[in-house]
Amino acid sequence: MARPNPLPPGLAMSDLRSPDSRWSLLIERHPVFFFTSPAALVIFVLMVFPVFYTVYMSLHSWFASSVTAPEFIGLANFKRAFVEDERFRNAIWLTIYFTVVATALQVVLGVALALLLNRPFRGKGFFRSVFLLPMVATPVAIALVWMMMFNPTLGVMNYLVGLIGLGPFKWVSDVRLVIPALAFVDTWEWTPLITLITLAGLASLPLEPYESALIDGATPAQMFWRITLPLLRPTIMVALLFRAIDCLKTFDIIYVMTAGGPGFASETLNVYTFQVGLFYFHIGYASSLLVILFALVMGVSLVLIKVRRGSW
Amino acid sequence: MRFTRRVWSLALILGLLGLALASMSEAGQFNWQQFKGTQLRVLINKHPWQAAIEPHLKDFEALTGIKLLVEVYPEDQFRAKTLVELTSGASSMDVFMTMPGQEGLKYMRAGWYQPVDEFLKDPSLTASDYNWNDFLDKARDAMVIEGKTIGPPIQIENSALMYRKDVFQKYNVKVPTTLDELEAAAKALNGKAMTDDGQPGFGFVARGKRAAATSQFAGMLYAMGGTWLTPNREPAINSPEAVKAIDMWGRLLRLYGPPGSENNHWYEASSIFSQGKAAIWLDANSLFPVIEDPQKSKIIGKVGYAVFPNGPNNHPGGTVAPWGLGIPKTSKNQKAAWLFLQWATNKEQVLKLQSEAGVLGARDSVWKDPKGRGKVPADLAVSLAEGSKVGTPLWNPPVVAVAEVRDAVGAAIVTSIQGGNVKAAADKAAADMKRIMAETEKK
Repeated sequence: MARPNPLPPGLAMSDLRSPDSRWSLLIERHPVFFFTSPAALVIFVLMVFPVFYTVYMSLHSWFASSVTAPEFIGLANFKRAFVEDERFRNAIWLTIYFTVVATALQVVLGVALALLLNRPFRGKGFFRSVFLLPMVATPVAIALVWMMMFNPTLGVMNYLVGLIGLGPFKWVSDVRLVIPALAFVDTWEWTPLITLITLAGLASLPLEPYESALIDGATPAQMFWRITLPLLRPTIMVALLFRAIDCLKTFDIIYVMTAGGPGFASETLNVYTFQVGLFYFHIGYASSLLVILFALVMGVSLVLIKVRRGSW
Repeated sequence: MRFTRRVWSLALILGLLGLALASMSEAGQFNWQQFKGTQLRVLINKHPWQAAIEPHLKDFEALTGIKLLVEVYPEDQFRAKTLVELTSGASSMDVFMTMPGQEGLKYMRAGWYQPVDEFLKDPSLTASDYNWNDFLDKARDAMVIEGKTIGPPIQIENSALMYRKDVFQKYNVKVPTTLDELEAAAKALNGKAMTDDGQPGFGFVARGKRAAATSQFAGMLYAMGGTWLTPNREPAINSPEAVKAIDMWGRLLRLYGPPGSENNHWYEASSIFSQGKAAIWLDANSLFPVIEDPQKSKIIGKVGYAVFPNGPNNHPGGTVAPWGLGIPKTSKNQKAAWLFLQWATNKEQVLKLQSEAGVLGARDSVWKDPKGRGKVPADLAVSLAEGSKVGTPLWNPPVVAVAEVRDAVGAAIVTSIQGGNVKAAADKAAADMKRIMAETEKK
C-alpha cells in the first residue's frame, strides 16, 4: 500500500530533493568543511580576529576620540610599559601578589573542606549545597556587600574583629591590607569551586592502595600524605589552574570595591588596562597591556599544566 | 524716451530697495514658527532635568511646529553613544546634553560643537526677552570654551559647605566662612556627640577617592588662590598655593575625618553624613535630596547650606558645574535646534522646572523670584545663587584627557590623606600632567 502524500496537492517528495544538484554533491564530498564552517566562522569573528586586532593595535599609538588616526610606533608601547611606567610595574606586582595569596588560601581551604565533606555524616547533602552558595552569587553583588561590611565607620567587620579584641582596621582603605582583604573576598567566593572539583577527584580514588596501607599498618596521617594527596594531585592542579587564571584577570570585585585604590594600591593589571583603555582612551597602549596580560596568563597556565603532568 | 526709462529704472531700484528693507524688517522679527515642519533629534541623559522637562516637550512642538525625536539613555551609555556618533562625523543628532567641564575642551578641539554666539546676537533667531545675561555669571562662563559659547546651562551645582546646624549651635561653633574657620570648626567638633543616640561623630567628611576627590578639591584649590594650569598651559598643581590646598584637604580628612577616607566617593561620604556621623561635609550642593530624604537620612531639617569657605585674603572658593545643551556641528537643523535650546532655558521653563521638580536652574531672576525656590531649602537657594557668581567653572582641569589628569592629581590627594610627602606628590602629579597633555594635545 502506498504511503499517503503528506505534502500539499501538486507537490511530490521528489520535488523537495535534488540529489544531483551541485550543492548537495559538494556538501557530501566535503562534509568536514561544510559542517564545521559555521562554528569556525563564529570563533574566527568573535575570538581570533579580536586577538589579532589587539596585537595589531598594540603596535600603534591611538588616542581614541581625537581626530588623528592610529600611528604605527612599533614596540614603543612595550618599552614604555616595562621601562617608564611605574603604574604598570606596580600593577604587575599586585596582580601576582593577589593571585598567590588568593589561590594559596583557596587551595588549602578548598581541599580541607572537600576532605571534611567527603566523610559520612548526617546532613552531608545539606552542607554540601550550602557551601556552594557563594559561588552562585553575582560577583558585583558580592563585592557591594563586602564593601559595606568593610566600611571602617559603618561596616560590621570592625565590630566582629572587635569582639576578639582586634582592630579597628581600615580594611580596603589601608594600603597594606587592601590586597589581602580583596583576596579574602575572592577566597570566600571561590573556595567552593576547589571543593567541588576535589570532591569529584576524591570520589574516583581507588580503594586498593588504602587496603594495602591498612594491612601494612599505616597511620591515617601517613595515608593522607602518602596516598590521598599524591593521587589527588592532578585534580588539585586542575582546580588551581582554573583559579590562577581567574585570579590573574580578576576585575569585578576589585573594580567595584576599590577601583584600584586607595591611590593605586590595588590596581591590578586588568584594572589598570581598563582604566587606560576605556577612561583615558589610549587604545594602543591598552592593547599592549592586554597582550602582556595575555602572555602572563598563558605563561602561568603552561607552567601549571607541566606541573600537573608531573614532568617537573 | 530715455528720460522715462530712467524714471522707470529708478522706480524699479527704489521698489526693490523697499522690498528688501521690508523683508529685512520682517527678518528682524523673531518668530517661533519660522522652522515649522522641521524634525530635531535630541539626545539626553537620564537626569532630574530630563525627567522634569519631558512632560513639557509637547508645548515646544505646539509652539514651533517642530517635531522632536527624543532619545534618553543612562549616563554612561549616553556618553558612549554621543562620543561614538560624534567621532563618526556623520551623526544625525541635532541637540545633545553636554557637560563642558568634562568633555568641553576635547569636543571643542575636535570641532564637534556648533558655537551659538552668532545665533545669540541675531534678533531674528533669539527672542528679545531671552536675556542671556540673566544666567549666573560663572555658569555662563562655564559654557564658554576657548572663547566660544557652546550653549545655555540647564542645571548647576556648586562645591559647597553643608553643615549640621544643630551640632554647631549645641557646641557654640561659628559657621565657617574662611578655610581657617573651617579647620577650627572641624577640630572643635571632631569626636563630639552628634548622632540621635548621642554617639560621637567626625568633624569633617568629604571625598578622598583618587579621581573622584578632585572635583570637590577644585573648590579648595581655587580658594587658596591656586589653579590647574598657568596662563600658558603649564601644570600649576605643584605651585605653593596648590600644595597648600592638597595638604589641607588631606589634613582635614586625616585628622578630623573618618578612617578610610581614601576610598570614599560621594556616596560613602553622604552615608556617613546622613547617618549623623559628621558635622561638616564639603561636596556638591545638588546632592541635597540625599540628605533630605526621610527614607535614608537621619538629619532631615538639621542641615545648613552655605557657600564654600573663602581662602587667604578672602579669595572666594567653590566651583560651578553646569550641565548644558549643545548643537553638534554636523546638525543640518542648527537654527531650529537653537530654538529648542532657547525654549528649554527661557525664564518661563526654568521657573517651571525649578519650582515643580527642584531642578537647580542657572537663572538669577528665577532664584530671586519667590516662586522659583520651590522645594529647595532657603539657605541652599541663597548660597547656590551666591556661589554661582563667585565659584570657579574649572571644577575639572581644563585639558583634553580629563579622566587621566584627574587620576594623576587624585593620587597626590590620596598621598596627602595618608600623611605622605605632599610636595613630592604634587611635583609628580605636575610631571604626569605635563606628559599626559603632551601626549593628548599634540597638534
